[in-house]
Amino acid sequence: MERTEQEKIIVIPCSGIGKAFGSIAREATYELTENLRSKTTGTVCLALLVSGDEESLNLVRENKCITVDGCPLQCAEKNVRLAGGNFAGSFRVVDAFKENRHLKPKSVTFLDDDGQRLAKVLAEKMASKVDELLGGES
Amino acid sequence: MSEYLQTVFDKFELRVRKGCSYSRDGIWVRVEDDAVRIGLSDYLQRTSGDVAFVETVKEGLSVEREAEIGNMETAKAVLSLSSPISGTVVSVNSLLSDKPELVNSDPYGEGWLAILKPRDLENDLKTLMSAEDYFDFMLGMLRGGQGKLGSG
Amino acid sequence: MQLSEKKVGIISCRGEGCVEGTISRVATRLVLEKLPEKTVTICLPLFLAGGKEERAFARDYPTITVDGCEKLCAKIGTERYSGKPASSIVVTELARNWHCSKLNSRRKLDADSVAVAEKVAERIAEEVDEVLDRWR
Repeated sequence: MERTEQEKIIVIPCSGIGKAFGSIAREATYELTENLRSKTTGTVCLALLVSGDEESLNLVRENKCITVDGCPLQCAEKNVRLAGGNFAGSFRVVDAFKENRHLKPKSVTFLDDDGQRLAKVLAEKMASKVDELLGGES
Repeated sequence: MSEYLQTVFDKFELRVRKGCSYSRDGIWVRVEDDAVRIGLSDYLQRTSGDVAFVETVKEGLSVEREAEIGNMETAKAVLSLSSPISGTVVSVNSLLSDKPELVNSDPYGEGWLAILKPRDLENDLKTLMSAEDYFDFMLGMLRGGQGKLGSG
Repeated sequence: MQLSEKKVGIISCRGEGCVEGTISRVATRLVLEKLPEKTVTICLPLFLAGGKEERAFARDYPTITVDGCEKLCAKIGTERYSGKPASSIVVTELARNWHCSKLNSRRKLDADSVAVAEKVAERIAEEVDEVLDRWR
């Protein structure tokens, strides 16, 4: 979990373990926070939020948050809202898949090429949202 | 009394709706006055995975029993859906174009696939299983390890 | 009606913030792939969000929690919502005991970290067998 020194958008993936889309949510978050918008985004473990970790809770309450979910159950969004996070937007991997039907991720444990590509596409969409939330700055 | 036959396998609760007939592929049929409504069974949606797209034939089209009436795409696969009866498609579920996840979340309710005016219902129903028989069939598939249930 | 053979539920943290979280996740996946007839994976976010099936399974079947670090999110969550796990594994503890040199890259595990994940998976598999033996 990164500390904030300036305004940052906190990105919380579901990281669901049973499906490729959960791995893609996780990978998209890394691509965004480590590569595309490393200075203006951070991430926090969903489980820490739910277990009541004070530092994590303060982070999501004091900064705008976007969630990334791997399935329609939307655990990340639900849990961030329940934690009283400053919810500012959500993404679903399935929506990126719908726009990129040629990408068919198969493996879950280690993402295959299609999984990596889909994660990158999703991360780019998330980057646009981050820019919008920060008022055009990146 | 529950309107479903139910079992739990691993962590998954699987339901078979009573009062419907079922094809071996897992398509349910429910007679509603002079029409039939069809959809995917709970077992079929579970083994298919999260639905991203559902496409059906157009309204007004005539289909034969076992002919393709649509297809469904999940992260795992593209699945061809066979009509369990012969007849004319009078209505398709337009909700599924924006919310295909209804097939997963409510397979016997809002996730229905199409409504048909049957051509030979009496004989077509004889080729299908009752809910009780489909339930036993499903248990056999689960015990035999066929069809991996989607995990969370 | 309950159909399953005896199985163990594996509840893993998947902490994005540290390499040990990724190792937890990968190790759990490896066990699931290797022992599908003995294990079920419980999705932690769904479990914590109130997933009925996840919680019911964890209540009725033995569980093994796999945590990346000493914050023990998986173990604490399981105890809070379903009951004490039959066994608890903490990756940072194992890495210390095995004298693993600094583990790198939470995003894409390097060869050393993959090797640690495989060792953790072996440990989980041993625990699975032990738990199932105790259960019989």
